[in-house]
Amino acid sequence: MSGPRSLSTVLILGIPILWVVVFMLLPYGIIVTYSFWVKAYPTFKPAFQFGNYLTLVTDPQYVQVLLRTLKISALVSVLSLLLAYPFAWWLVFRCHNQSLKTWAYMAVIAPLWVSYLLRAYIWKTILGTEGILNSFLMSTGIISEPSSLFLYNQFAMVVTLTYIFIPFMVMPIYTALERIPANLSEASSDLGMAPWQTFLKVTLPLSTPGIAAGFTLTFCLSFGDFIAPFLVGGPDGNLIASVIQSQFGSALNWPLGSALSIVMLVIVLAIVSLSDRIEARANTGAH
Amino acid sequence: MKKTLTALLALTASPALAEGTVNVLTWEGYADASFITQFEEESGCKVTATYVGSNDDFAPKLLGGGGVYDLIAPSIDTTALMIDLGLVEPLDTAAITGWGDIYQKFRDLPGLQRDGVHYGMPYSWGAIAFMYRNDVFTTPPTSIADLWNPDLAGKVSLWDDKSAIYVAARLNGDSDIYNLTDEQIEAAKAKLIEQKPLVRKYWATAGELVDLYKAGEVVISNTWAGYQSSLLAAEGIEVTEFIPTEGAEGWLDAWMVVKDTPNRECAYKFLNMQLSALGQCGVANVNGYSAANPVAAKACMSPEQFTALHQDDPDYLDSLMIWTALGERFEAYTNAWNAVKAQ
Repeated sequence: MSGPRSLSTVLILGIPILWVVVFMLLPYGIIVTYSFWVKAYPTFKPAFQFGNYLTLVTDPQYVQVLLRTLKISALVSVLSLLLAYPFAWWLVFRCHNQSLKTWAYMAVIAPLWVSYLLRAYIWKTILGTEGILNSFLMSTGIISEPSSLFLYNQFAMVVTLTYIFIPFMVMPIYTALERIPANLSEASSDLGMAPWQTFLKVTLPLSTPGIAAGFTLTFCLSFGDFIAPFLVGGPDGNLIASVIQSQFGSALNWPLGSALSIVMLVIVLAIVSLSDRIEARANTGAH
Repeated sequence: MKKTLTALLALTASPALAEGTVNVLTWEGYADASFITQFEEESGCKVTATYVGSNDDFAPKLLGGGGVYDLIAPSIDTTALMIDLGLVEPLDTAAITGWGDIYQKFRDLPGLQRDGVHYGMPYSWGAIAFMYRNDVFTTPPTSIADLWNPDLAGKVSLWDDKSAIYVAARLNGDSDIYNLTDEQIEAAKAKLIEQKPLVRKYWATAGELVDLYKAGEVVISNTWAGYQSSLLAAEGIEVTEFIPTEGAEGWLDAWMVVKDTPNRECAYKFLNMQLSALGQCGVANVNGYSAANPVAAKACMSPEQFTALHQDDPDYLDSLMIWTALGERFEAYTNAWNAVKAQ
């Protein structure tokens, strides 16, 4: 009887295939199709032409927003890395109190369970002209007038996005550091290496896959964000996802919005494959 | 997310269809509990409201798998698009008590009909006025140019909407704001880019503008006349509305029935209520907007309110530049506004 076996084969192969078709090929296929259509009042009509992609290249507003989004995402990733790495390193190598370790790790992860919107709103109350940060700076006499420099600009977006996405940097780095056998750094110091040399030559290279994973996650998440520009961004804070939103929304130009989505997808895929390559190289280098 | 939620609500509500439901996509205040609760009790129709932040939200919400909403309330610059998109059905005006009481000039607006058939029931109207914080200005601002005053750097806000182009065009002296040429749109765009360093934030919803004033972030902006100013007054923040020397835009909102609604009976009950004293004074009291039915308004408003809302003076609306459908030119305006924001 081949019945049960073929059923299980169908399930084993069928589920992932169905998944890929329904959740990837179908939606992306639709978006790709739309991206060749043309805008025609009152909506848009089927066509096959590259006008939308041409618009993205020729009209400077799209390149401008794309570059700004890349810049903001890179800043968020770098800032997250600078904050997350020392923290993860301290957790793994210096924090010997197990309950403190658990508590500190949870303190980073816990915000993930709080609504994204709420976390973004909190930064609004902290950074505002009459906000907590200004009140603090004024009460300590550092500034005499409330500053409007903290909210509704790119700085506020970077701070907010860093806060929101930093757990995605801490987790992979923590995991990578924890996998490093303790005897490696002992051997390194036995061979006469100073602690900083051990860090640069042993710990850092071995944690590269964690850094690459964290960088990819924070970068791609920031790259697709449109809540932060809406809540804490200023007049110069438009990001690419907001533009896509307005093309699908107010502008009623789904073809152009689709073309923009495809460009965004290509960039994200390029970053993911680059990160894969870095991780692979780091892993083979370790052997 | 909100859509799935409404869909779920609609699903769970369907067993109780005998009672009836009506799902409205509208502006904040147009389905306020202060008068909707009474309607629900009297009619047996449960009202589920979803709110929009801009007229540009109607089409995407209905196109992206609509079927959830029975009634919408777009403004006069968007009603024609709804008809062109085939999203709404002709009104059975005979089923609307008080249809004949609506200001004649509103009923006859071209944006509300096609081939002599009516598609929209005028509901409320007003101006896109400007507004400033009393405690900041010794000389009251009178012109749009005051939103370009470098002394107010970082304290200015403007509605995140294509209407920003209308504002800048008037400042440039181009008063035919709904028929701007490409050059005039380009000039308006340049003017808005010039203003950007002064702008604290472009406001997207009524609530956001109120928050911006409350938090001391903004001292001058445009506004939906009557609405945000009264919300701010309730918070103890004194603001004054003004019509600038360059003139202001006027708007009119109209209820439209979504094509093939399964809840037609409740929808018409809702329309009748909105055009009666209950609905007309409901919106006047909640939002501070003027009523489209002066007969109902006279019945429920105090003489002071009647005069303050220009109900005895519909010519006031003529002094405003009433929004018009942009049609083929829509894209040029939105594209220019997006380019400003991209800077």
